[in-house]
Amino acid sequence: MKARALFKLAARSVGRNARRSALTAAAMALGLALLIFSRALAEGGHEQWIDSAVRLGTGHVAIQAPEYLETGRIEHRLDSSEVARAAGALEAPELSGLVARWTQRLSVNGLASSAASALPVRVEGVDPEREAAFSTLPGLLQEGRYLEPGDKLAAFIGVELAHRLELEVGDRFVLTAQAATGEVEGQLARVVGTFRTGVQEIDEGIVHVPLPTARAWLAAPGAATTVAVLLASSRRTDEAVETLRARLDGDRGIRVLGWPEAQPDLESGVKIDDWGDGIFHTILFAIVALAILNAVMMSVLSRQREFGILQAIGLTGMDTSLVVFLEGLFLTAASGVAGMLLGFAFTWGFFRNGLDFSGMVSSEMEFSGGIIDPVIVPIFHFGQVLLSAVTIAIIGTLASLYPAWRASRLDVAEAMKFEQ
Amino acid sequence: MNNSLGPDWAVRTEDVWKVYPQEPSPVEAVRALTLEVERGDFVAMAGPSGSGKTTVLNLLGGLTQPTRGRIWIGGRETTAMNARDLARLRLEHIGFVFQAYNLLPVLTALENAEFTLLLRGIPDDERRRRIEHLFGEMGLAGLEDRRPAKLSGGQQQRVAFARAVAGEPALVLADEPTANLDSVTAVALLEIMQHLNQEHGVTFVFSTHDPRVMEQARRRIRLVDGSITEDVRSAPVR
Repeated sequence: MKARALFKLAARSVGRNARRSALTAAAMALGLALLIFSRALAEGGHEQWIDSAVRLGTGHVAIQAPEYLETGRIEHRLDSSEVARAAGALEAPELSGLVARWTQRLSVNGLASSAASALPVRVEGVDPEREAAFSTLPGLLQEGRYLEPGDKLAAFIGVELAHRLELEVGDRFVLTAQAATGEVEGQLARVVGTFRTGVQEIDEGIVHVPLPTARAWLAAPGAATTVAVLLASSRRTDEAVETLRARLDGDRGIRVLGWPEAQPDLESGVKIDDWGDGIFHTILFAIVALAILNAVMMSVLSRQREFGILQAIGLTGMDTSLVVFLEGLFLTAASGVAGMLLGFAFTWGFFRNGLDFSGMVSSEMEFSGGIIDPVIVPIFHFGQVLLSAVTIAIIGTLASLYPAWRASRLDVAEAMKFEQ
Repeated sequence: MNNSLGPDWAVRTEDVWKVYPQEPSPVEAVRALTLEVERGDFVAMAGPSGSGKTTVLNLLGGLTQPTRGRIWIGGRETTAMNARDLARLRLEHIGFVFQAYNLLPVLTALENAEFTLLLRGIPDDERRRRIEHLFGEMGLAGLEDRRPAKLSGGQQQRVAFARAVAGEPALVLADEPTANLDSVTAVALLEIMQHLNQEHGVTFVFSTHDPRVMEQARRRIRLVDGSITEDVRSAPVR
């Protein structure tokens, strides 16, 4: 009964000063809405960075020889039986629905030479069909075509490389690299198509050739330096890595790496961005906390006589503080619900197709081997939204504690002198 | 009414002092107050502003503790109680009425009147029965659902008295309850206080400036500079 009385009093008091409550609730709701939008945008941005980088790089999960990550040398490759075991492991039933697609690559550092010039490049022997579905490069075709099954001497190069080597589609050039035998071997290639990412390093430094051609040229039949796996979601990387490690456990020639290990620059970049977001969100939370503290404190200070009456008719100091505390919680709860709805509505209503930052950048941006699309599509994660809501609830609770404590310490006789 | 707390007297004080530390010298708001109020009495306290009337009422109600001396409400010594026990005592045995702004603005007249009963866990039907009876007696029927802002000053004070006596307290302390009322309303309120005193045996101790209210009291105490200078018992002028 007592709890019911205090509950009723607190609930009515929130509605009593409607304007002040509404302003406070609006500040909190906007804060939470901004938080949800910002988190969704950050999630979307990170997912896009990761997706772009892993498609050009080694996938969400990379299956490689143990030393390859450190050396990048062809002698640390997977042989044909290891590639077959890795491919078999990827067909495991527990990975269905988790693995979106995979491809194998035989990559070496080499030299691309033409009559005009010579430039260092990263040559990647790829399966044209699998790579077309995996990598973003085939979609950035500038001229000609991408590699096709059956191609032998074909090469797909960036426009900057073509420009520096003065090559056009149909022209021939020579690739030179150290083969598995340890000998430096040359390979003639013909340009079948060019791509443009807008990122100088990529447009100048990547060459795709057919995997059989690369294997023959580098004397590594059936081999691959990386089996790259693309997952349905980057958030499930650990799950996929653990499953693959369990299935390939005991095979000393194989190492399974998640993208944070295989592409540590990317992970560092995401973490740094997360830190930046964290600072922004902390400031946002502090503003919200001050809004609650201000509203509840003002309410307490302007209602001293009312609290005096409550204690004069039999409430304890603790009871009075509970009323104030409940008011803060009601305000927080109402604002939290409003903020979440507003956050969802705003993000979904205006930016479901992405927020276009292209007006703010002059060209494509590169980040850790990936191309950053200036259009960021926000992504909601239930866990993130729940975390934001719980954080707001905790802040609301903490911000209500001090006014509640002040109310409990009231000098009743003095409070009764207070004019409403 | 169930207002028995013990002996025949409702209030007893023994050499009570209230001194506020202030520069350049402490202020003695109440000095050597020794007083006994019988159960069912109707006591008015008068005195100039600053004479200590409100402080005495606050001391009797346990809203503030004396600098020295002892106070009993019924048989219980309030000066030996902690804040929690004092709150319990006020809830169950003391009713308070103040000069103005008595009611909780977010509750209706009925909710204000029954608030202490709700805090005490009195069942719904019993609460409603008591409040309806009191509202009928005090001319408040039909105003149950109005918020204080929609009530006149006299109506608000009557609701405050209903709240004060609804819990059948041993003692009602009222600090200048008619001060903000016009003379007609003040007289009507006084009649209600007398009715509650005579019919329900409620003990009243109240402060007032109003000579007409003073005349109605059975016992009249005059305070000057925190001390009793006059204590007269007589039949009220009707």
